[in-house]
Amino acid sequence: MTGSSVSSRKVLSKIATNRLQKELTEWQINPPSGFTHRVTDNLQRWVIEVNGAQGTIYANEKYQLQVDFPENYPMEAPQVIFLHPAPLHPHIYSNGHICLDILYDSWSPAMTVGSICISILSMLSSSPAKERPEDNDRYVKNCRNGRSPKETRWWFHDDKV
Amino acid sequence: MAKGVCSAAVQAEQLKQDGNLYFKKNRLGAAIDAYTEAITLCPDVPVYWTNRALCHRKRNDWTRVEEDCRKAVQLDHKSVKGHYMLGLALIERENYSEGIKSLERALDHGRGAHPNSYMVEEIWQELAKAKYQEWERHSTKRNWDLHKLQESCEMALKEHHVDGDVDVNEQLEALKLVFEKAAEADVPTEVPDYLCCKITLDIFRDPVITPSGLTYERAVILDHLEKVGKFDPITRESLVQSQLVPNMAIKEAVGAFLEKHGWAYKMD
Repeated sequence: MTGSSVSSRKVLSKIATNRLQKELTEWQINPPSGFTHRVTDNLQRWVIEVNGAQGTIYANEKYQLQVDFPENYPMEAPQVIFLHPAPLHPHIYSNGHICLDILYDSWSPAMTVGSICISILSMLSSSPAKERPEDNDRYVKNCRNGRSPKETRWWFHDDKV
Repeated sequence: MAKGVCSAAVQAEQLKQDGNLYFKKNRLGAAIDAYTEAITLCPDVPVYWTNRALCHRKRNDWTRVEEDCRKAVQLDHKSVKGHYMLGLALIERENYSEGIKSLERALDHGRGAHPNSYMVEEIWQELAKAKYQEWERHSTKRNWDLHKLQESCEMALKEHHVDGDVDVNEQLEALKLVFEKAAEADVPTEVPDYLCCKITLDIFRDPVITPSGLTYERAVILDHLEKVGKFDPITRESLVQSQLVPNMAIKEAVGAFLEKHGWAYKMD
């Protein structure tokens, strides 16, 4: 178990529940293209299928994102990771953790699951090569006790990829 | 004389404290007695009346809630609790329109004093519930009346189609569209995006505008400034609480929308 607020699984606040229900309704009417939400009755954890965009090196590949919402969402960012196997990408670690600023320091409550998905797809689409981050082994080893990526002190890589 | 007044006030205040203590222990009878004594000593202190009303409310004794609250708002027309419980009492005896007015007054005064307090949220919930129920009653009647009218019109059309040039079926179809149009406002759909906060995704209650020109729900933007950071959630420009200004235009637009589409008061 990790000590993060996400995995301690407190019940969602009223504001969080209300907002997630609205996001889910909006998703059902108008899902972001390239994504499918796997329907469950668990509002606090969403599993979303990502389809690599055509014309990119991830075309025709499918990955799964797991999104866990904290009790006081959207005042706190959700925890977003790729389920195994995570795509090979210079900002995605083999344990599924994603180095993307909006998921951590640059979170804003005006962002939604939909806008996070679009950011992740654009990060995938702009990648020139399928490779792991340079520090992958060291980082993954450090996370072995099941640490949440939200506890990592991220050093954001360049914005180009 | 002056000394007498003073000691009566001190004594009454002590009785109020006693009453509060009994109330916390759920000894409502004892609490009511203490507040009653306080009122006898100093009948002009509104809090004694609203505190006693709170006890009556817990006992579902709505007639007495109404009496005490009327006295309280007469003494202090800004008494949030007075207007609030008076509203609940009026709704309880099915005087919906007056009850809603009292809740609205409570909300206005409550927001002025503590825009972020739990009381404001609670009052809003009760007001929204009352408004929704009011809409349900009226829309059911409106639908029924329309339905009857439509039936009569259809019958009339069918009976009187002597003129061979006019296609009755076409007319009936057109009539159906006219009636659908007439019922439109009462059909729950989605609230337009421009009347919803980008953080709550819900219809605005107390909208405030930032220097970036963006509008947010007051309670959540305050929460954001405190917990996330001092920036506008969408533009990320720096933002502090003192820069927030009520957005009266949006507030009026929300009011006009809710007036026509009472279903939007439905919570969760």
